[in-house]
Amino acid sequence: MSGPRTVNGRPGTTAQSEAGYDAVARNDGDGPRRPSPTRGRIAATVAVIGELLITAGVLMALFVVYSLWWTNVLADREAKRQGNHVRDNWAKGGPSGPGALDTKDGIGFLHVPSMKNGEVLVKSGTGSDILNEGVAGFYRDPVKAAMPWDKQGNFTLAAHRDGHGAKFHNIDKIKTGDAVVFETRDTWYVYKVYSQLTQTSKYNVDVLDQVPKESGKTQPGRYITLTTCTPVYTSDYRYIVWAELQREEKVDNKRTPPVELRK
Amino acid sequence: MYGWIWRHLPGNTGVRALISLVLVLAIVYILFQYVFPWAEPLLPFNDVTVDNGMAVNR
Repeated sequence: MSGPRTVNGRPGTTAQSEAGYDAVARNDGDGPRRPSPTRGRIAATVAVIGELLITAGVLMALFVVYSLWWTNVLADREAKRQGNHVRDNWAKGGPSGPGALDTKDGIGFLHVPSMKNGEVLVKSGTGSDILNEGVAGFYRDPVKAAMPWDKQGNFTLAAHRDGHGAKFHNIDKIKTGDAVVFETRDTWYVYKVYSQLTQTSKYNVDVLDQVPKESGKTQPGRYITLTTCTPVYTSDYRYIVWAELQREEKVDNKRTPPVELRK
Repeated sequence: MYGWIWRHLPGNTGVRALISLVLVLAIVYILFQYVFPWAEPLLPFNDVTVDNGMAVNR
């Protein structure tokens, strides 16, 4: 044969090659395309695996949407509701003097102008049930936080970096010298940032000490410590910001904010 | 898999498309409402506190 080999004109086939040839080439004829049972089953299996992989990808994408967007929507809504509740209670007056502190509803609001996120309600505890409400929590464990009105001590706070309100998302924008203001019913506590720790172990509980030596302090004073996770979108390390009390201001009846918040 | 579901949905193409959309929305709702809130604490993406590795921070 001098011309190209054709399907029907293949010369000199043995019985063995004839069988293989049949299985592969059955569809090359003139009739309608009809896959062999084996090939159909393999194709179907591959198709199902492919669809499962696509499904897994879509699921993960949805989880990202959930983590970085939907939890913020829920948490911001919840934080706003609770914050309004606290402010309503303040406006109503209520009992004053020592012991009037309502730790269940939140003790006040944190304002950090350089984070550009408005006010953050501060509640008791750092469990995920608390922090997921879009608030900051003060530590009760492993080291109990001091309160801003205590004579000395460290007011230690935690909040989410991403998702669930992401209240400390912009913690890396805080620079030394920036103001951190904590607002209670009767007093503005104005702190000034003096030290940051941009990355530390998540087991480094020393940052919560009443005199945080890692920040360079050796004398007792009135400090505030902000903690959250870093780098963004992960929880491998912790980011710490320390500030020290500069002054207290009485809240007037118009709740005029201190000059640091009026820019 | 999805082809099989599509073939087993009743109605013409328009009705099938509508049912598919409702099914997708229902699944997304179940995921956001129940599955993801359950799965999130099990994944190591959102721990923000410092602790001594033993205490559950509550």
